[in-house]
Amino acid sequence: MSKVFGLALGILAAVGGFVDIGDLVFNVSAGAMFGYELLWVIPIGVVGIIVFSEMCGRVAAVSKKAVFDAVRERVGFKAALGTLIASEVVNLMTFAAELGGVAIALQLLSGLPYRWLIVLAALGLGVVIWVTSFDWIERIFGYGGLCLLVFAVAAVKMSPDWGEAGAGLVPHVPQSNAMVYAYFVVGLLGAAMTPYEVYFYSSGAVEEEWTPKDLGLNRANAIIGYGLGGFFSIALMLTGATLFLGRGIEPEHLGTIALGAEVPLGEIGLVLAIVGILFAVGGASIDTVFSGAYNLAQFCGWEWGRYRTNARAPRFTLTWIVLLALGILIVLTGVDAVVLTEYAVIFSVVALPLTYLPILLVANDDAYMGRYRNGRLANVLGFVYLVVILVVALSAIPLMILTNVGQG
Amino acid sequence: MTEIDIALKVLDHQILDCEGRRCGNVDDVEIEGGPGEHARGSTILVGAGWWPQRAGWIGRVARWLAGNERVRVPWEEVADVEAGVILRKTAGELGLGRGDDRVRAWIEKIPGAHR
Amino acid sequence: MRTLSSLQGRKVVTESGESLGSLYDLRGELGARTLRVTGLVAGTRGFLEHLGITRRSATVIPWDDVVRIEGKRIVVRDQKS
Repeated sequence: MSKVFGLALGILAAVGGFVDIGDLVFNVSAGAMFGYELLWVIPIGVVGIIVFSEMCGRVAAVSKKAVFDAVRERVGFKAALGTLIASEVVNLMTFAAELGGVAIALQLLSGLPYRWLIVLAALGLGVVIWVTSFDWIERIFGYGGLCLLVFAVAAVKMSPDWGEAGAGLVPHVPQSNAMVYAYFVVGLLGAAMTPYEVYFYSSGAVEEEWTPKDLGLNRANAIIGYGLGGFFSIALMLTGATLFLGRGIEPEHLGTIALGAEVPLGEIGLVLAIVGILFAVGGASIDTVFSGAYNLAQFCGWEWGRYRTNARAPRFTLTWIVLLALGILIVLTGVDAVVLTEYAVIFSVVALPLTYLPILLVANDDAYMGRYRNGRLANVLGFVYLVVILVVALSAIPLMILTNVGQG
Repeated sequence: MTEIDIALKVLDHQILDCEGRRCGNVDDVEIEGGPGEHARGSTILVGAGWWPQRAGWIGRVARWLAGNERVRVPWEEVADVEAGVILRKTAGELGLGRGDDRVRAWIEKIPGAHR
Repeated sequence: MRTLSSLQGRKVVTESGESLGSLYDLRGELGARTLRVTGLVAGTRGFLEHLGITRRSATVIPWDDVVRIEGKRIVVRDQKS
């Protein structure tokens, strides 16, 4: 009984933690520009992150290796080093975007100056990480993120055209603006299949010493958690579609996004939306900063781990502190958080094959996996998504340039 | 006597000391002995200082960032090679993990470092 | 002193000039305190094989058959097919 309860709590935390600033920006913008037409991309992205995470979790449980252990052992030193540098750059950009989002949410709640809040937010996150046990961090930010449920309520209350929404769930080509449409497909997939989430998940699995016996439970946690989290993305897109489409409002600011909940639900809706954003993005920022530290430590062979006390894994600790500081500097340059988010998502998409492919290979490798190597379903999905990821990665930057970062 | 492929099973794998502490990856393996002689893996090379010889200029840049450490661990210190290379002694005794020791001195000054 | 990484990638040719591919690993025998090198693992390592997608077409050449090690290649005695 307590196992089911534990699973339920884990799922709730995963659902609340699913959305990050990339999802907020891209889903609402996609709704604002194309209405329901891009809804079909969301399930594809959700299944993608499930496939990737499942393989990483299985690799971690069976071979006791996290993503970057596998990358370094498998693809050759030079390529692995290149992958590491690319991943660290992307992680840092993503962290800076999330940090910016936290600062904006705090500003909406408190009215204090943005620049102070950037530093305050980062210091606050640093203190939380330093002092709080990881289980509690996951719970606090995960459950807090559940406030985003308000967007689902708001979306329903706005009485969307369910028929049209249903049609949007079927993949189709756009009637106009094909390039911008394609850019959003890339962005939505990138926002769903964030690499830092996978690094974090896989490192956590190694630290918690998952064994093959744990696979069933943890697979369920991931599948149900991410699956339900996908509904949040749908709610965000519906919000964009019902509120912003056709009115020329582009959600260029998180405050505008939060209004999506205020219009149908009033001030309580607005507050819940901002609080939800604060926790979801705050949790994501902690995940990203840790992912950066995990990757570097794993590549270099250092001691690492969130369960290791800070002094037992000193260089790992120093790494996340340095990343936190660099994130502050990036956001303090005044770069717009939404623009930074778009760049971060696009660049993570470009770097995605670099870590996806080694994991797909390791998951198939007898020597590492024994009888837990990919079965037919895992391989079909694995290779289909490899193709998807490669196509998306190759087209991301051209599309970004051609559409002037989605402006058309 | 077990047969192993050295690049597959040793190179780039995690090194653990006798206490299970992570203390680096196998950055290279020195081979002693030439044609016509007995050849053996004589030393494990650990540290970012060995990276340039594997990755050219990108290795030099990475070394600049990660520190120019170069440690040599004689193969006799290896206890086993399974999921990683496991050593007979502690990291400290073999000169490994010094980067962690140096940084630990600073981290410990922050209150709460031992939670 | 040679390192494993510096040997990797060198072309392996027989004394009569036949190419056996590139060296990508060394076969060894793990003893209680020693790691003896017993052979070269060479082959044509296409991109797919490097990543392990297709099975390696590898030849193992006994270390005793190594004649000399040059800067860019390793010369071995002719192998009986």
